Amino acid sequence: MIRFFLNLFIPHHTNNYRAKLLHHESLLLVILIFFFGAFTLNYASKAFPSVLGISSDITVSDLLNLTNQKRAENGLPPLSIDQRLSNAASGKAQNMFAENYWAHISPGGITPWSFIRSAGYSYVYAGENLAKGFTNSQDVINAWMASPSHRKNVLSNSYNNVGFSVQTGRLSGEDTVLVVEMFGSVSEPQATAAISGEDKKPVEMAAISQQGKQPVQEPEKQASNPALLTQIPAQNLNKNTSTIKGNSVMGSVKTPPVINSGMLTKNLALIVISSFIFILTMDLIFVKRKRIVRAVGHNVDHILFFSLMILLIIIFTRGIII
Amino acid sequence: MYKKIQNHLGYYISLIVMLALSLLLVILASGNKDLQMTIFILTAIFYVIWGILHHLLNHDLTSKIVIEYVLIGALGISTIFFVFMGGKGI
Repeated sequence: MIRFFLNLFIPHHTNNYRAKLLHHESLLLVILIFFFGAFTLNYASKAFPSVLGISSDITVSDLLNLTNQKRAENGLPPLSIDQRLSNAASGKAQNMFAENYWAHISPGGITPWSFIRSAGYSYVYAGENLAKGFTNSQDVINAWMASPSHRKNVLSNSYNNVGFSVQTGRLSGEDTVLVVEMFGSVSEPQATAAISGEDKKPVEMAAISQQGKQPVQEPEKQASNPALLTQIPAQNLNKNTSTIKGNSVMGSVKTPPVINSGMLTKNLALIVISSFIFILTMDLIFVKRKRIVRAVGHNVDHILFFSLMILLIIIFTRGIII
Repeated sequence: MYKKIQNHLGYYISLIVMLALSLLLVILASGNKDLQMTIFILTAIFYVIWGILHHLLNHDLTSKIVIEYVLIGALGISTIFFVFMGGKGI
């Protein structure tokens, strides 16, 4: 067994002083295994969605605790869960899967505030944070806290309620986990009482504008531009809301599978690429020590290329926020 | 080894710049998986061409080396394809 692994990983007389995994036929075999594995896992996740698919450890209670923990660290009062905001967040997540978009405002023009209002929450202040592709609550909160505009929502003293929705579904052709966080307040919080004389019209804050590039620095006083709120006639909103509750939407929301295919492929890919970096480094050291002359490619080139791949795999599989 | 790296410093700097540029483009294309995959495939192709040119300019290019760079590039593409298609159900 030890000899087998030595043959695979370490230059030795049994493998012509080049680790067996670096031989052309071995490289070809690994390539074929990856391609075959990709198709097999893809088929398996569609044929057995309860066994293999995308899942996460994100829970509403963790998100609430972590949000309030960050607020406490900054001397702010905790937010309480409001079921209406949670329903609004759920409606938003389902609408994103149904209309296949990743933005604060739907292609049809539905704003987050429409979901909040249709859930029966008459807000004075409202805000929304979105995240997708994360696997645990801590990473979601960390990503929001690292973004100035999202952080502003989490640490705003204008809110006293929050609602969350964590849903798995298919978006832009890939299975993913969506997290929607809706903030709101129905009455002026104490901290903003000083400006209560201005007006009592609704104020909304999206973490980032529709394009996802322009952070909103100050709460947008949409009330002064009520077009955004009144853009969608009530009957259209009701129509869209009824679509949201339809089977087409519910059908796209999946129950968590036993195996998280995202984590499985990421970890396997990282293990294989890291192994190749290890093998190439060992080969480099061995060749240097033994002063072996060979007509092969430069190991340093391959190590640099594989190092980039590790970074890319991490980037490809990390969650994103808007 | 260090002497060898010194001799090839120009080549390695060009490779590092190319890989860093690829990394930057992938980060900028965040959220667009198709574009990210395209950037990576192009990077792998450039890597193979770069590797072959590197050996060609050093007058030590053999068919075995060409195959090695092609296989390493293909391994990179197959790994990313595995992560994309197998993991995300694309």
